Amino acid sequence: MEEIKEMTYTQAVTELEQLVQKMQDPQCSIDNLTAYTKRSKELLDICRKKLTAADEQLKQILADIQQQG
Amino acid sequence: MQEQSLFPNQPQGITLSQFNARISQAINTAPGLQNQWIIAETSDLRVVRGHCYMELVEKDDHGTTVAKLGAVIWASTFARLDAKFQAAMGTGLKTGMKLLVLATANYHSQYGFKAVINDIDPSYTMGDMARQRLEILKRLKADGIIDMNKELPITAVPQRIAVISAAGAAGYGDFMNQLEHNPYRLKFYTCLFGASMQGAQTVPSVLAALDRINEHMELFDAVVIIRGGGATSELNSFDNYDLAASVAQFPLPVIVGIGHDRDETVLDYVAAIRVKTPTAAAEWLINRGTNALAHLDELQEAVVTAVRETVGHAREQLTYYTGMIPAAARRIIETNSIRLDNYTKNIPLAANNLIANQRTRLERAVERMGGALEHAMQREQLRLKALGEKAALLSPENTLQRGYSLVWAGGKCVTAASQISPGERVTMQFADGTASATVDKVKG
Repeated sequence: MEEIKEMTYTQAVTELEQLVQKMQDPQCSIDNLTAYTKRSKELLDICRKKLTAADEQLKQILADIQQQG
Repeated sequence: MQEQSLFPNQPQGITLSQFNARISQAINTAPGLQNQWIIAETSDLRVVRGHCYMELVEKDDHGTTVAKLGAVIWASTFARLDAKFQAAMGTGLKTGMKLLVLATANYHSQYGFKAVINDIDPSYTMGDMARQRLEILKRLKADGIIDMNKELPITAVPQRIAVISAAGAAGYGDFMNQLEHNPYRLKFYTCLFGASMQGAQTVPSVLAALDRINEHMELFDAVVIIRGGGATSELNSFDNYDLAASVAQFPLPVIVGIGHDRDETVLDYVAAIRVKTPTAAAEWLINRGTNALAHLDELQEAVVTAVRETVGHAREQLTYYTGMIPAAARRIIETNSIRLDNYTKNIPLAANNLIANQRTRLERAVERMGGALEHAMQREQLRLKALGEKAALLSPENTLQRGYSLVWAGGKCVTAASQISPGERVTMQFADGTASATVDKVKG
């Protein structure tokens, strides 16, 4: 499993989609359910965070480039 | 009036104004020079005190000017024509446009020769621009690059945006404002690459901005080229092959918001995404974000449903097994309770037997104990009797009676010669009494 913080939004949402598919499979074991649920919660959080939480470092880098122009 | 000449051979002359009057007469009444539609390109166009002055030119295929004529639109006409042209084209009259003008050749004695423009047919210009655009598009297609930018994958939510715009433009402000204050709290990261968005500098400055973005390509998800607000002229600066080719081949998806309701530019055909205004560009980005958020909500709902269903299914199974358990348990309990009953019934019987046995054993033991006790008592009595006889035999009285005597000195019985010394008084005890004596001599 990839370190979640390093993931891009696309990677995280792709894994999440695959996980949901696994969970929707009628063969999904209840033993895996806790782990799947935990992971999907983490992925949902990171996806939402990527869309709505500010990345100050990136902001600064872009501000510097803009100033150089 | 002719003057008398001093030199009779001298040719007769007329005044310039007389000559000009003839020109004026000839030109201003000549057929085909009044209200004639002319196709020409504008050059050196300028507006002075409300009058619009220009050069009308015609160029050959190599761009060489082959015909030229000064022209004017008088202020009274220009206000009307400019509004009409603006309405049809979304842009005012400017240098470099191909026009179809209704002109009258006019010669003025004082100001010279000019074409006076009385009307313009904007549809010709529109058609000409469309033709130019079409040629550029044909070339882009032939080069195989026209769809390249459109075929680039676009990330789910482009958040890191390189913006090409004029820094102070109202359109740029609208775009930034819209992104920053989106109500969904979506975060966008913009970096402005300033460029001139009108006039001769448009193409080179936008190309330079694209070059700079290319240097930092890994920092961006998309490029936004916006232009809006201010004058709506100069739009066809974007109808340029080099610019279109660069946008088409740019490695990041390009979103253009430079168009106009009534017009399109070549960039609209090559960019990955085309919208009409800078605000619409911001809305497009925000819309991607809200779609992504909605998709996350769906996924979350799917997770919850999957968990509920899987747990529900497991619970059903469990209920089924739970239902099975009592039947199995009842069987076990019944079997065991029969065994238990048997044990319960047998317990008193076994206990009685056990007690009876024990009682018999106890009685026997008591009996045995009684006999043994009596026997032991008799044995002891005999022993005691023997001991008594022995004791009587050994008592001092018996001994004294058998002729022995005891010697006492100082209250103690003398049992050795060393215990007394000569001269000491002693008492001798016999069976029937005592006698006092003094010790003469001690031998030992």
